Formats: sequence, structure tokens, C-alpha cells
Amino acid sequence: MNRRDEQALLERVAALLADPTHSGHPLFEPLEALAEQYRNQQQQLERLICISDRYQLLALEARQVAQTRYENSLRRQQKLSRISDGYQAMMRERNRALHQDSTHDPLTQLANRRLIDERLHQLEASGQSYTLVLMDIDRFKAINDRHGHDVGDRLLVAIADAMRGVLRESDLCGRWGGEEFILLLAETRIDEARTIVERLRDRVSAVTITSCEEKLSVTLSAGISEHRIGEDHLTTLKHADQALLEAKRSGRDRCLVAAR
Amino acid sequence: MGTMITMTRDLDIPRSQSTPAIQSSWQTGRLTMQGDSYPENSYELFDQVIEWVRRFLDDEERPLLLSLGLVYLNTSSVKAMMDIFDLLEEAHGNGREVAVEWYYDPRNERIAELADEFREDCSYPFAITPATTPA
Repeated sequence: MNRRDEQALLERVAALLADPTHSGHPLFEPLEALAEQYRNQQQQLERLICISDRYQLLALEARQVAQTRYENSLRRQQKLSRISDGYQAMMRERNRALHQDSTHDPLTQLANRRLIDERLHQLEASGQSYTLVLMDIDRFKAINDRHGHDVGDRLLVAIADAMRGVLRESDLCGRWGGEEFILLLAETRIDEARTIVERLRDRVSAVTITSCEEKLSVTLSAGISEHRIGEDHLTTLKHADQALLEAKRSGRDRCLVAAR
Repeated sequence: MGTMITMTRDLDIPRSQSTPAIQSSWQTGRLTMQGDSYPENSYELFDQVIEWVRRFLDDEERPLLLSLGLVYLNTSSVKAMMDIFDLLEEAHGNGREVAVEWYYDPRNERIAELADEFREDCSYPFAITPATTPA
């Protein structure tokens, strides 16, 4: 029974009860009591529904508050993580920069002695074969004396750039001293090393810089020594140094292999 | 009212390797923090800062200025700064005049980017400025 039918029935009952001709009827009193009882129950039911609705609304609101709170806290958490990650990334970059600074020559950005020493010890420890090259710029002191150190520095930077262009991923080139460079060529035999060094010498001699409208270029002398199994790296280094000295003595601008 | 009270309320924490220099001035309504922050116990350090900010905002009606030269912050320090900025946001919402000035070393642009991330939810004046002298 829908609400309108229900209402119509109640009205019919009320009309019957209101009719004075029915007042003495035996059903009058029970019907009147039943109608009253019905109305009370209807009111109760409406109150109940109303209370239930309010509860539902409260629960809904509480859920929305909790949801908003959760979303806010999530957003905050995400912001915290994002910023914190940013600081960590900054720290990593700073560490990388510090590591680069502590292992590279600030002028040429080639490996410094510390990194070269580290790599030599690694090679020795791993038993990997390698060839070591010492190189020296010919008559560099004269350039420094004539044109000044800033020109000498510019030349060193240009030469370092040229060297990087020739080297393979596994090669390590370092600045060993003022105008002296060292090459560590892992897994490289002497003949291959010689080819690399000659190519590198070609490139370096093609480098020119201008100072007071004068074009400056230099040549490179080199001494090559292949590491022998069981040999201390200082010994290999000493042989390369002797070969370099020999290259210098015999007229510069050349590459000599250490005599063993 | 007491110069004495004002004196005891102010913070003057010297900079250490892992904590920033922190100074507060109740009189001028200014809080400054400078340096790195990765303390072992950041709650111990920041609780007093948060407390100072809260009390200044509650007890006074004058403007509050935060002058920051923070460099590196660990996670709990980031959280503490977010809490402080939230306090300022709440006060600003109640009509209070508050502002942040964050100075950074122009050689480290990343700091400015991170300060900008902090600024995201702040509706009060929040300036991120390259410092003329490194922080």
C-alpha cells in the first residue's frame, strides 16, 4: 500500500467515525482505538526514519572529514618525501662533485695522481694486463717562459681535450706532473698501445692556440712499457720513464718502447 | 612587562656542523636560521623553535618575519620546517602579518628550487632571494 492509499484509507476511517449515525455501532470503539494506535505507530516510524537519516548523515560527514584528513596527510607526506628526495639528490651531486675534484686535475680535468695510483693498484690486484705510457710535451718550458703561464695553461687544456678525443672508454689518461701525462691502457698489448700513442701524438701536434697573433703548437715525446705478470707497477713505471727519457735524448717528438 | 621575560624567551643557538644557527628576537618579531640541518635529534632542536613561533603568534599581535639561510636539510628537519610554515599559514589565515625571506647561495640553484617546493602551499609573502654573501 502506497502512502496515498494509506492516507485515503485513514481519511475514510476518520469520516466513518465522525458520522454520528455510527456512534452506537459495536465496531465503533475498537475501530477508533485501532485508528489511534495506527497513527501513533506511523508517527513512531517517521521519527525512527528521521533519526536514522540523521545518523547516516553524521556517518557520511565523519567519513568525508576522515577522507579529507587522509588526503591532506597524504599530500603532506608526499610533499615531505619530494623535498627530502630533493635534498638527497643535492647531496649526491655535491658528493659527486667533491669526488671529481679529489680525483681530477682542476685545470685539464684529467685524472690526477691519486686516481692514477688507485687504478694502478686495482690493475695490479686484479691481475689484468695493461700497458703504461708516460708522455711529455716537448719544450713546454720555453712556451711558458716566452708567453706566460696563462698561455701555457691554455695549451695544456687544449692538449687534454685532444687526448680525450682519441682515448677509449677503458683508457685512463692523467696529468702526472706539470707537462707530463700518463696513460693506462688496460688489456692492451704493446703494438696496439703504440698505434694509440701515435694517433694521440698526431692529434696533439695538430693542436694550435694563438698568442699575440702567433700560432703555437707542440709535439709530444712518449715512453711505452707493458706490464709483465708479477711485476710491481713501480717497475713498469720506471721502464716507461726510461723509454721517455731515451725518446727525449734521441731528438724528441717520438715514441719509444722500453727496452727490456 | 619584562625585559626579563623577553630575554628568557629568545633563542640563540650557535651553528654547529650538523645544526643551523638559530636566533630569535621577540622584540623585533624576527626568527633567523642559517646553515645545514641534520641533527641527531631534530625534535629536540626544532621543538623549541616551533614553541617560540607558536608563543609569539599567540601572545603578540605584531608581524613575524622568518629570515632563512638554510642549506642542507634532512627529512626530519624538512618536516619541522613544514610545521613552522603551517603555523604561519594558519596565523596568516587569521589576518596576521607574517613573511618568509629565504636567502640562498646563487651558486646552488637547487636550494632555490627546494625553497620553492616549501612555498607551494603558503599564501603569505615568501621571498626566495639569491644572497650577496654566501649563506
